[in-house]
Amino acid sequence: MSITAINEQLLRAIGVGIAIVRCEDLQILFTNAPFSEWFGTPGLDATLPEILQDIVVDDIKAALHQEGRYAGELSIKRKRRTLIIALSISSASADAQDFYVVECQNITRIRELESMIDSYSTMVERNTRELEREKERVERLLLNLMPRTVYEEFKTFGVVTPQLYESVSVVMLDFVDFTRFAAEHDPTVTLGELNDIFTAFDRIAEQYGCERIKTIGDAYLAVAGMPEPSPDHARAVANCAVRFIRYLERRNQSHQYKWQARIGLGTGSAVGSVVGIQKYVYDVFGSAVNLASRLQGFANPMCIVAPDAMKEFLVDEFQLVDLGKQEIRSFGEIRLMRVSPGIELARKARQF
Amino acid sequence: MLSRLIYYYFRLIDHELSSAVMADALFDKYGGFKFVSRIVLSFYDKVLDSDQVGDHFDGIDMPRLIDHQTKFIASLLGGPISYSDERLKRAHASLNLTHDDFDEVRRLLSETLADHGIEPQDVETVMAEIEARRSSILSDDAS
Repeated sequence: MSITAINEQLLRAIGVGIAIVRCEDLQILFTNAPFSEWFGTPGLDATLPEILQDIVVDDIKAALHQEGRYAGELSIKRKRRTLIIALSISSASADAQDFYVVECQNITRIRELESMIDSYSTMVERNTRELEREKERVERLLLNLMPRTVYEEFKTFGVVTPQLYESVSVVMLDFVDFTRFAAEHDPTVTLGELNDIFTAFDRIAEQYGCERIKTIGDAYLAVAGMPEPSPDHARAVANCAVRFIRYLERRNQSHQYKWQARIGLGTGSAVGSVVGIQKYVYDVFGSAVNLASRLQGFANPMCIVAPDAMKEFLVDEFQLVDLGKQEIRSFGEIRLMRVSPGIELARKARQF
Repeated sequence: MLSRLIYYYFRLIDHELSSAVMADALFDKYGGFKFVSRIVLSFYDKVLDSDQVGDHFDGIDMPRLIDHQTKFIASLLGGPISYSDERLKRAHASLNLTHDDFDEVRRLLSETLADHGIEPQDVETVMAEIEARRSSILSDDAS
């Protein structure tokens, strides 16, 4: 068999569609089986534009001239399916004649796969976004239960190590006659009231650098100086305390139910940790907490009582009234003072 | 409730939510998308080649049909999408499919799944899933 014959056999055998076209009149000289299958068997005088109707001959010539090769795509309909054929045309010459070699590949499957991957990635991306949102929701919920630094530790190590904070301050608030109110009103009313007030307290606490730890019934407990240490913790709790009182005073002017609260401040050390395995609760323990709780019980309605030890931190900003030495259970005799807004704050309060 | 949430949260962090929630989803059992993609392509071929239903899909362009079938099959197998009945209704509303058409597609899908080595009881599960969508896929007055 001659080389030419072998070449022709090869052209016939390969899966790529091949057509050989004479340059001068674009007449098709040869097609192999795949080409004929896709575009039909051309008649004797058929030219390329007659067979591939969608092509623009000038474009092909320009591309061949500039880049030596033309690449394009055609779609043809076979039964119900649209086939996508990639077209590649290059020049060749033999026996002093110029030819175009037209190669065609069926890339339908590739396009179908691409479409499927597109479709799937859209699906997965949307899912990922949903998971992301879900994760944020859960994170927000957990951040309501514990301070962020504690949460970060919990997330990274799966546990929270109890940590001692040498110097923190605590504000503890309790409502006067809450038990009676709760007994006399529908529980939903009680809950609605607490929810409303505590939400406002949370905002105030956040604004003045305190962290609400928990509410126990009608008691509200917030700390400053933990988990992030702060030199201003005493002032932070006092600032919260006077604003809690002011908020209640203002609220009482317009609301049906009037609330009176007692507030105790405490300072000292405290331990913070997540308590429990199944029910995660971040809690604080220690003398600062106990002291605030005792002083809250000691305070008159709508008054704030703090230990004299906080005086040096509060004296510049608040009005302090000495209450003398008082016997406080499990603390013995300690000097106490009443805290109320300083002149500056009281002046502003009158403005609004 | 809270511990469950936290549990989910940590599954989420590990990107394992899907397996945590749908532990027995066929989608995961058979190897996820790389497996499902083969099913989708075979199913696509079969549907187009079918003389009973092929003509319904004749005029629909390929990316749209592939997109629909990928999502639909993924959802049938419990993959990362759910196709609402309302959406199925809208997708098929203009096709005026008959019960015979539905049965044919159901048969083709069952055949495809079996061809790809899905266990018979799992094929049954998928068939039950698709049967449950019959009324959404067919128009209300389907014959």
